[in-house]
This record gives sequence, C-alpha cells and structure tokens, in this order.
Amino acid sequence: MRDLKHMIFFENLLDNADNELVEQAKAEGKLAIGYTCFHIPEVLLNVPGCFSVRLRAPRTGSIDIATYYMSNYTCEFARALVERGIEGGFNFLDGLAGVDACSMMNRFYEHFELLKMNEKPNFFVTHTDMPYKVEDYSIRHYVKQMRVRLLDVMEKNYGVDTSDEAIRQAVAEHNDVCRIISEIGQMRKADNPVITGYEFHVLNLVSYTCPKHLILPYLRETLEELKTRKPDPKPWYRARVAVVGSEIDDPSLTKMLEDCGAMVVVDRYCYGSTPGREVIELSDDEPALEQICRHYMMVSECARYIADEKVQQRRDTADRLAREYNADGIIYEQMKFCDFWGFERALVSHIMSTEVGWPVLSIDRPYNARSSGQLRTRFQAFVESLEIKRIQKNGGNN
Amino acid sequence: MGKIKYPNPAFFRARTNIDWKAQGQNVKEIGAIVGQMIKETDWKAFGNRQLGNVKANARRLREEFEAVKAMTAEERKDLLLNGEKHLGKLYRTGAMATVRREWRGVRDTGVDFAEWLKMWGMLLGTFSKDLVPALNATLWYRWMISYMCCVGFMDKNTMGQRGTALKMSHLMIYDIFRYVAENLVFLAKCDKKNGNSEALNKKVVLFDEMTMGQIMAGFPDLLGIPYQLMPVFLVSEIDQLTCVPYIDAVESFGLPADTCPVPSSECGALVIDALPHMGSCFISSSMPCDGSTMASSYMSRRFPDLPVFHLTFPVRYEYEETVEDAAEDIKACIKFVEEQTGAKWNWDAYFTTMKRFNEETSYELEKWEVNKTNYPQIIGPCYELFRKWNYEMDGGADPRTIKTFQKVNKLMLQAYERREEAWPGKMKYRGIVWSCPAHYYANFSNWLANCWGIDILVEMESLNFTKPMETEDKEKALQDLARLYERMVMRRHTNGGYHNVVDELWRQVEAWRAEIIIMYQNVACKNMATLQGILDEQARDKGYHMIWIEHDLMDPRTVSRKTMRDKVNEYMRTVMKAEPVDPSLCDFDDESCM
Repeated sequence: MRDLKHMIFFENLLDNADNELVEQAKAEGKLAIGYTCFHIPEVLLNVPGCFSVRLRAPRTGSIDIATYYMSNYTCEFARALVERGIEGGFNFLDGLAGVDACSMMNRFYEHFELLKMNEKPNFFVTHTDMPYKVEDYSIRHYVKQMRVRLLDVMEKNYGVDTSDEAIRQAVAEHNDVCRIISEIGQMRKADNPVITGYEFHVLNLVSYTCPKHLILPYLRETLEELKTRKPDPKPWYRARVAVVGSEIDDPSLTKMLEDCGAMVVVDRYCYGSTPGREVIELSDDEPALEQICRHYMMVSECARYIADEKVQQRRDTADRLAREYNADGIIYEQMKFCDFWGFERALVSHIMSTEVGWPVLSIDRPYNARSSGQLRTRFQAFVESLEIKRIQKNGGNN
Repeated sequence: MGKIKYPNPAFFRARTNIDWKAQGQNVKEIGAIVGQMIKETDWKAFGNRQLGNVKANARRLREEFEAVKAMTAEERKDLLLNGEKHLGKLYRTGAMATVRREWRGVRDTGVDFAEWLKMWGMLLGTFSKDLVPALNATLWYRWMISYMCCVGFMDKNTMGQRGTALKMSHLMIYDIFRYVAENLVFLAKCDKKNGNSEALNKKVVLFDEMTMGQIMAGFPDLLGIPYQLMPVFLVSEIDQLTCVPYIDAVESFGLPADTCPVPSSECGALVIDALPHMGSCFISSSMPCDGSTMASSYMSRRFPDLPVFHLTFPVRYEYEETVEDAAEDIKACIKFVEEQTGAKWNWDAYFTTMKRFNEETSYELEKWEVNKTNYPQIIGPCYELFRKWNYEMDGGADPRTIKTFQKVNKLMLQAYERREEAWPGKMKYRGIVWSCPAHYYANFSNWLANCWGIDILVEMESLNFTKPMETEDKEKALQDLARLYERMVMRRHTNGGYHNVVDELWRQVEAWRAEIIIMYQNVACKNMATLQGILDEQARDKGYHMIWIEHDLMDPRTVSRKTMRDKVNEYMRTVMKAEPVDPSLCDFDDESCM
C-alpha cells in the first residue's frame, strides 16, 4: 500500500510528550493538563483554554533513578514516567490529573510532587478517587470527585471555565475525534484492510497525546485519504489477532506483532480505542458531567472493576470484538508487575481458551518491548499455531 | 435476661449430614497414598535418621549436663530460678520443632506448663463439641494437620519471656487459639464435603479474610467467618511451609510470581481445592490492595453457587466527601446479607458490640501509653497478633475478650508500677516495626529481643483507627464503620497517599522514641516498594537507624528466616558495633522448622 501522507508527521508527534502540536497549543496560551488513566475523562481536560495530554515515556532507555525510588518489582510504565519526569520531560505541563486507581501509578503522581518535578507557581497534581463498581451511589461519588478534585482545582488554580456549557463544547470536539478514529478503526474489519494495525495504533495515539483542535484537521484528511486508498492485491497478514489487556502506548509493539505476520485488528487495551473512542451522547436533561462520568464507567473495561457483571462484561467484550473484527485469536497481555491484569490475564486467558474456544496467547511484557527477542519468538509461534489451526479447519488447505 | 453465650451454642449443636460413602472413598484414597508412601520409603535411611536423632539428643543431654557441672553455685541458682540464656541450643538442623521446651526457671516454667495444660484442655474441649467432622477435616485438608503444632507456635512466640510478660502473652494468645479452634469446628461442620450441616450453613456469612468482622455485629443470629483465615492466613504463621503448595499451584496456572502472596495463596488454595465449600453468601472486598481486589474473581469461579457482595471503599479515605459513598456501600452490604440469609440487621446488638469494642480500644491505648515510657511492658509477638486479631476479626463481638483486656491491663499496670523489664536483661534498644511482617516469621520480634535486645514497642499494623465508634446515631454509626474499615490493618498506611506511611513513620518514631526501625520489605508489596527510595532517603536525612528486612510474606523459599536474621546481624555488627545478647541465636538452622 502507498504510505499515508501524514504518517511520518504522526510518528514524529509520538517521539516526545512535548511534541510540535503541544508546543503550538502552548504558544496559543492554552494550558496542558497531563493524565494517564482512562478514568480521568479527557473531555474534562479539554474545556476551553486547556488541552489534555495522555502521558507516555517514548524512547525510554534507562529507568535506574526511578528504580531507586520505586524498586525493581513495580510497574515499568509508572517507573518510566517518573524517570521522564525527573529528566524534565514533563516540564511543559500546567497540571497533572491523577486517579488513585492502581497503587503504582498513584505513586508516579506522588513522586511528581515529592521530587518537585514541576515548580510552576500554579502547577497542581490532583488525586481523585475512583469506585470499584458501577452503582448509583458510586456514580455520584465519581461525579463528586471529578467536580471537587479536578474541575474545581482547574478553576481555582487557573480560572478555567468548567461550566456545563464549557464541558459540552469539549464533548462536541471530542466526539469529532471519536467519529473519525472509530470510522478508521472499522476499516480493520475488511478481509484486506486499507490500514494496518500499526498505522491505526499511531493515529489513535496521536488523538490522545495532541491538542484536539490541532490534530483534527490531520485526522480528517487521513480519513479521506483512507477512503480511496488501494490495498495490496492480497492481504499481507498471516493471521488476525485481538490484543486485550493493560496499557500499551508503544506502537512498535504492534509493529513487532505485525512483522511476525499478525495483524492487530482489535485494540482492547488501555490507551487503545475500544474503549476510548466511543462518541459521548449527551442529553439536555441532566448535567453533562453526570452523563460523562456514567459513560466512562459503563464503557470502561479496566480490570480493576471487581463486580461480577463487570468481570463478565470484560470477557464478553473481548469475545464480541474478536468476532466482529474476524480475529483468529486473542493475545492477552499485561505490563509486567501489574497486579490487576496479572490476576485477570491468568484466569481469563484460561477461560477464553478452554470455555469460549479462542486460541489464546498469554504474555507479560516490559514497558519497552520493542527489542524483546523472547516476545518476538512467542508471537511467531502463535501466528504459526493460528495458521496450523486454519489449515486443519479447512481440511488441509490454507 | 440470662447470660449470653458466645458463640451461640446452637451453632455447635447444629445437625450435620455427613455423606459416609464419600468419606469412605476419601479414606480409601488416603489409604492408597499412605500405602504408596510406606512402600516408597527408604526405611534404612529412616532408621538411620531416627538413630541420628537419638544420638543427637544423647549428645545434647551430655553437653547440657557438662555445662551445668561447669557452672558456679551462683550460676546454677540463676539457672534454676531465672532459666536458660542460650536459646539457640533449642534448634537442631533439619528438625521440624525445637528439641525441647524452654527452661524458664522454676516459677515461670510452672506458669508456662499450667498455661500449656490449659491450652490443651481448651482445644480438646472445643473440638469435642463436634469431634467427628473436626477430626475428619484432617483427612480432607493438609492445612488442618499444621494446626496440630499450634502449641509449638505458642512456645515460639513466648520464647525468652518471663514473669508478667509471659503471663500476659499467654492470656492474649489463648483468646486467639480459642477463636481458631471454634472456627475450625464450624468450618468442619459446614463443609459440604465433610459435616455438611445445612442448618449451620444457612447461618454462615463468609467474608474475605482481609475484611474486618465488625459488620457482623448487627447480625447476632448469624455466624461470620473470615473464610480464608484458617486455611491460609493464620496457618501460614504456624507452619512456614503451608502456603508453598498454594503458591506453586496458582503460579503453574499462570499467575505472575510477583503478586502478593496473600491473594496468590488464596487463589492457589482454590486451585487445589483446599477451601471448604460452605456458607450462605460471601463478602469479598477491595482491601487492602490491588492484588486482594482481584482475588475475588477466582472465588466466584470456584464457587459459582455462592452469592457474592463486593465491599469496596474509597482509596483516598481521608477525603471527607468520600465517606458518603463508603457508608452507602455498607448499607448495600447489610441489605445483601439480609436478602441472602433472611436475618434482620439489629441496631441494639450492633451498638452493644461497638461499646465493647470502644472499651477494648481504650485499653489498647493504655498499652501504647505504657510502652511509650521508659518501662514498656507489653511487647512481643503474642501482643502483636492479639492486637491485629482483636481489631480485624473479633471487633468486640466476643464478650470473653474484654475480660482478657481487663486482666492484661491489670497485670501491665502492676508490672509498670514495679518497673519490671519486659525482657529481663534484654532491654537494649527501643524498636519500631514498619510495613507488613513475614507470616512465616511471625515471631521475628521475639528473636530480635532475645538475640540483640531490640525490643519492638509497636508495629505499624497495630496503629490503626482509635476513634470511638458512634453508638447512638445510626447514620453516623454507618459512617464510622466505613471509616474503620477504610483503616484496616495495612490499608490504613499503604492507601490514601504516601504521607500515611512515610510521614506517619517519622511521627511514630518520635512518639515512641524508637532508636531502630525494622523496615520490612515484602518483595511483592507494590504499595510499599514504590516508596522505597523516599523512605531510605528521608531516614538517612533524619539520621535514623533503619534496617531493611526483605521477605516474601508467605513463601520462605524466596527469603529464608535465616536471611532475614542475617540482615539484622550484619547491621548490628557493622553499623551499630554491637554485641549480641545471646550469641547462640545469631546463626542456627530453622529452614524446615515450623
């Protein structure tokens, strides 16, 4: 296939948290608010005068200093962020919106404060509390947290307009991004798709890490380009896989998978598009904040949700997406040392394989996975096993 | 109104419905295993080993005789009255128990022996309330066998103690053992594989072992049992090797080895079917940390017929605006229990229990005040266990416990008046323990005192919620209950922000005037590990002696007891330039000792 016009530009945007578009928005006088967790609704950080940046630590090398602070048996993503913060990689931020959802990521936010990584006068780190289950009272709790611990802090520190009208404005722009990304994502359903999993991963990530108003024109143009893009005469992949699990913000992991012949057709992981790029439907009957919080709790697939119906929802969603996108198998992955996904992966990969009937590859992986020979070998073996299964299913014909 | 007996005698009397055919098959299976073991045993090696033991005992007796012979008259008198001083001799390489019981001097050995008899009497009396299923449980669960050594556990925790301290330790550990024995009987009666008592199962509400028991105070007609406490949590303190098969099983299943051994062991116990099938419903929880939160899905899968309520509390528990959500969850939990059991929440019963719990807390605070003085009285593992058990599991429910508090308090104040030394001749350093201790070395603080004279005045896990619980206003009472739960053991410090475990440590070190911080490092505890650098840095800045002791909570294969001791030995010798109080305890082998 012919290269996408803006692909190199998009890839460059992912090379730094403080990328070209972030700098441009800062020059416009907008405030950059960093976040990591899905449970901080990014629309709330995109009210007029602000823009959200979902934090990553691209091109991570050594994380020795962060390891001194957080020991070596803890989430490498959290450590990579601490290291990047110590290096000054997040000095451009004006605030940090934290969720005390997983303990290790919470400690990243705390180290940000403890080690005084950003000393701007009005800089804030806020810690919000997140429920473990979806009940009427827990939704009320979530709404209260977003109001008291996030929006009020933004308003107090910077005079940001966090009114219902301002939030609705942010939702409208957010929905534009979601429609485009979702439409592009749907293209992966085709037998011979006009987009690769890697390209989609890059597009989705720039939508999280760049100011919405600046990335939108590029995304629109890319969507139009894809509509007329001609696929290769024959599908390039050997198998189609759904990737399910914890945080992946490194497209080179997807690239490694696709180099092994497995096209990633479903990105059901944290920082992925399902969930993440669903349109938020707002009615005029109740405040936007309440509707947004409910939306995020309902669509969330985070392993932290403990209630039985959410546990089942996670299994059903993985199964449904894998079917809808014609996947041949599912890869359950977890960031090494992630407690939530460690327990979830062990049990669900077993259930999906033995009870639902999916071929499953179950892996834990480092944050910086691009050079892992072990992972590459396991991906290759999984692709081969999927091919063999297909041959067997087709009575010996590929 | 007559005297209310606790626990309800009807629970012991509940009719069992044992499937004898199934028991027969189980005995047959065990018989086959035993037969195979007998067949495969190298009897020659076994005989040689027994002969070796006999010889070692003879050698020990000879050495002890020679040692006494070489003593002066004054030393002999001291040995006779005050007991032995070289406790390392009680251990022998490869032995599963100490070679004999400790000689504590005439009076204290008498006290110790009387308590030993009392303990056995209580155990036999309790099990005889329904002996058949209780004994039968040993044929179903290997962890039940480990409880046979519980009296050895008592000896281990009181080693080196004398006088009032010894008496107080016995009083406290007796209550824990009684609670365990009673619950073991209930587990055996309820278990569908064993006693299969339908009547009792209808009354039993299981809750996660990491969930506090106070919510059951409002259901006096029901029986709340911390489900995994007996098969996993507590037994791992008695027998260091209990959890090894659980951990291996769940790791073979695919769980990463870096997760906390508590939820790992709980899940592993489910994998190898080591938990009884029982109860009317189960209360799981998100406490204290991420790993424990996730263990509940394993539970739901193993026992899909057991309705589950997930009790979840805000992590940022100090935010006052979060109390409403927590109280709502308690209400929902109460409603769930009512629906599942048909019982009704009883405010009078709840308030009565909370009044008692408040009184117990005030006694606890008195202990702290005494221990903060120059004459601390109540230290050692029995106290640490008692505090945690009372705070987490008993919670004022058992009226007999308050009597123990009263007796211990009286003894403590008398000893304080007399300015007694809690560890005679071993009061060298004031110590504080931070983070969670290793289950497989529950009596580590005992070793610290006996070997180096480091006396642990308080543990982090004891320093929890001490505000009196509301006993009149119902809405406020639910909020207080939520606050209490949010500040459960461990969670109080490791959740809600770093200041609860970092700043709080420095505050407590000052309050207790601690000279040494025993800083446990459970290698799988991410909440603590992620603050390692900050704790280390700030301790250095403040000039505190902080000894890091790595352990793997329930898996002694990762960090052995000996390795834990060596960390202290090295620090004391190289940094403190100190000499041990009892050099025989610096290096000994207890790798396979319970």
